[in-house]
Amino acid sequence: MLALPSSVAVSVAVAEPSFRELEGSLTCQCGCGLTVQTCNHLQCPSAIPLRQEIRSEMALGKTKEVILDHFAEKYGEKILSSPTTTGFNLTAWVMPFLIVGLGTLFVLFTLLRWRKRTDLPSPTNTGATPPSGADMSEHKKTLERELENFES
Amino acid sequence: MIELGRQAILIALLIAAYSIVMALLGGWTRRRDFVASAENGALAVWGAVLVAATILLHALVTRDFSIEYVAAYSSSTLPLYYSIAALWGGQKGSLLFWALILTSFSAVVVLQNRHRHRELMPYVVATLMSIALFFLCLLFFITPPFETLAVPAREGRDLNPLLQNYWMTIHPPSLYLGFVGMSVPFAFAIAALATGKLDTTWIRTTRRWTLFAWFFLSLGNLFGALWAYEVLGWGGYWAWDPVENAAFMPWLTGTAFLHSVMVQEKKNMLKVWNMVLIIMTFSLTIFGTFLTRSGVISSVHSFTQSGLGPFFLGFLALILVVSISLLLLRLPMLRSEAELDSLLSRESTFLFNNLILVGIAFAVFWGTMFPVISEAVRGVKITVGPPFFNKVNAPLGLILLFLMGVGPVIAWRRASWAHLRRTFAAPVTTGLVAGAACFIGGIRNYWAIVSFSLIFFVLATIFVEFYRGVRARQAMVGDNFLRALVQLISRNRRRYGGYIVHIGIVMIFVAITGTSAFRIEKQVTLNVGEIFEIGGYELRYDGLEERDTLHIAYLMARLEVYENGNHVDTLLPEKRFYKKPEQPTTEVAIRSTLGSDLYLVLGSYDAETRMATILAYLNPLIGFLYWGGAVLTLGTFVVILPVGATAPAAAYTASPIEATETRVSSR
Repeated sequence: MLALPSSVAVSVAVAEPSFRELEGSLTCQCGCGLTVQTCNHLQCPSAIPLRQEIRSEMALGKTKEVILDHFAEKYGEKILSSPTTTGFNLTAWVMPFLIVGLGTLFVLFTLLRWRKRTDLPSPTNTGATPPSGADMSEHKKTLERELENFES
Repeated sequence: MIELGRQAILIALLIAAYSIVMALLGGWTRRRDFVASAENGALAVWGAVLVAATILLHALVTRDFSIEYVAAYSSSTLPLYYSIAALWGGQKGSLLFWALILTSFSAVVVLQNRHRHRELMPYVVATLMSIALFFLCLLFFITPPFETLAVPAREGRDLNPLLQNYWMTIHPPSLYLGFVGMSVPFAFAIAALATGKLDTTWIRTTRRWTLFAWFFLSLGNLFGALWAYEVLGWGGYWAWDPVENAAFMPWLTGTAFLHSVMVQEKKNMLKVWNMVLIIMTFSLTIFGTFLTRSGVISSVHSFTQSGLGPFFLGFLALILVVSISLLLLRLPMLRSEAELDSLLSRESTFLFNNLILVGIAFAVFWGTMFPVISEAVRGVKITVGPPFFNKVNAPLGLILLFLMGVGPVIAWRRASWAHLRRTFAAPVTTGLVAGAACFIGGIRNYWAIVSFSLIFFVLATIFVEFYRGVRARQAMVGDNFLRALVQLISRNRRRYGGYIVHIGIVMIFVAITGTSAFRIEKQVTLNVGEIFEIGGYELRYDGLEERDTLHIAYLMARLEVYENGNHVDTLLPEKRFYKKPEQPTTEVAIRSTLGSDLYLVLGSYDAETRMATILAYLNPLIGFLYWGGAVLTLGTFVVILPVGATAPAAAYTASPIEATETRVSSR
C-alpha cells in the first residue's frame, strides 16, 4: 500500500446518481455543446453556477422532474439536454422508431412479394414436359441436401 | 508565386468547365476525341490544383505573412508539421485541399479507365469535374486562399490551439479522403443512370474505391473520437456534436451500401436501393460539409463556420435534383425481377442490416436537425444532446450487432432450420454463457449484459467460420493450422477480410459498452502531498511544475500513480497557454492499459497555495477503440490490397452456392 501522508486528501466525490443525472440532463450554456456534467472548462461561467443551483434545488428535496421544470422555466427549454416527451417534442423520440418500424414492414412486404414471385411457375418451363411432381420434389430435396452439405 | 497560385485556380476552373462540356458532348455524340479531350482536361485540372496547393503549402512553410490565410492560421513559432497541417486548418485552405484530393482521384480514375468503361467514362468525368467546378468556383470567387494583406503582417495569428495536436495531421485528411472518395462511386452511379448501363459494372468497377472511401471515413471518425478524447478533456470521445454526426451519417449509409452491393452482385437484386444509397451517401458528405461550414447548428467545430452554407445547400439541392431525376427516368430499367427463396436467407438479413443502418442514420439526422425544426415549427429553441442520441441509438445499435453475427454466415438463397441449428448453436450458446457470466460477475447494467452477450455471439460466429474453413482446408490439402489459415484468408480475401473488419467493429462495441456502463469519475481538490484513490489506483499529488517555451507556457500537476503499493506511473495533466492567440487549453494525462485508461484533467489550481483540483476518470475497455481501429485497418487491407490472386470460387473457400451460380450464369 502507498504510505499515507499525515494529511488526508479533501475528496469531493460527485457520484450521487441523482446529481449526476441532473448534470447530464442540462446543457452547459458556455457554448461548449456539452452537458453540465461533461463541461470541464476552467472556471466555466455557466457549468459552475448551474452545478451550484442543482445542489440548492436538490437540498430543497425536489424531485428530478420538478428541478428540470425549474431550469426550463428559468433558462428556457434549450437548457435541457434532451427534448421533453410532450407535445411536438415527442416527435423527436418517436420518429426514428416509427421510420424503422415502417421500414421493417416495407422490407417484410417486399420480401414476401419477391417470394411469391419465386413461387409462381416459371414461363420458361411451359414448353417442356414437366417432370412429375414426385420427381420434382425428389430432385429438389436431393439438390438442397447436397447444397447444404456442400456449404458446410 | 501568389499570382501564379491565383491563376492556377482560375485555369483549373476554366478547364474543369471545358471538360464537363466536352465530356457531355462526347457522350452524346459518341465522339471519342471529345471524350479524350475531356479526360486530358481532368488531368490538367489536377495539375493546376496541385500547383495552387503546392504554392499555398510553400507559403505556409516559409511563413509568408503577406498572404491573409498564412497570417491567420500560422505563426513564426508554429512547428513545421502544424504549418503543413494548417493547409486544412482553415476554411480556404481546407477547400483547396478538398479540391486537390478530388482532382487527384479524378486523375486516377481517368488513368485507370483509359481503355475500360468507355461508355461510362464521359459521364464519370462530367460528374467529377462538376463537383470540382463547384469547389473551384468557391475558391476563386468566394474564399480565395491567395488573398494578400495590404500590409504584410509581422507575425501570424497562429493555428487554433485546439488544432495543435498530432491528430490534426491525420484526422482531417482521413475524413476528407473518405468524403471525397465517395465521389467516385457516385460518379459511376450517375454515369450508369445516364447511359442506361445499369448492370453491375459500375458496382464492380468502384468496389475498391468504395472500400477505400469507407475505410478512410471509418478512420476519420475514429481519429476524431480519439482526438476529442485526448483534447477536450471531458473523459469521453463522442459527444454527438453536429459535426461528428455529419461525418457519422455518410459512414452509416456507406456501410449499408457496401453490404447491399453484394446482394446486387450475387443476386442481381436491390438495383434501385443501391442507387439510392450511393446518392444518399454522397449527398450526406456535402450535407456534412454544409453543417460544418454554415453554423446553422452550434458545434464544437465553430472555427470552420463561415458564410458558405447557402452555396453548399444550393449545390446539395442540385445534386439531389439531378440524381433523383435520373433515377426516376431509369426506374423501369432498374426494377429487377427479384426472386427470393426464403425469408431466412442472407439476402433478407442484409436488407434488415441496411434498414437498421439507414434507420440509425435517420435518427442521427433527425436529432441533429430537430433544434432547427423545433424552432421553425414552435419558435422555441431546444437542445438535442448526447442523452437523446444514446437512448435512441443504443437499441438500434444492438440490433445491428445481432445482424452482424447473422448476416455473414447465414446461407444465400435459403437457410434451412438444420443449417441454422448447425451454424448458430455454438455462437448462441457462447452469447448466453457470456451474458450469464456477466450477471454472475455482478454486472447489473442490462444494456451492458445484452451488449456483451451479442459481442460474444458475433465473435463466436466469426470464429466458427474461420475454424470450419481451416479444418476443411487442412482436410483437403494437409496444411498445418497457420498455413491453412493464411491460405484460407488469401484465397477468399473479400470474405475473410470482411470478417476481420467485423472483429474490429465488435472491438469498438466493446469499448463503447465498457465506457458507457462502467466509467468511474471523481473530482478532488488536493494539497501538495495528498493522495486519492480511483478504481484500484492511488495517486499522490506532488505539486505544480512550470515550463516555458517561445510558443507555449506549460503548467503541470505532477501525480505519482501507485497500484497495489507499487509505483507504476507519473502523470502530468497540463494547462497550456498559447502565446500567439493568448489562449489557454487543457491537456489531459492518460495511463493506458488494455483493461482501462486512467484519465486525469487539471481542472483548476491556486498558484499561491499550490492546491489543485483534479478530475479523474477511469474508462474501462477504451483501449479496444484503438485496437478495434487497428483490426479494422488490417481487415480492410486484406480485402482491398491487390496482393496475390484471389482464387476462383473453390468449393471449400467461397460459398458453394456462389460457385454454382457462377457456373450457371456463365453458360
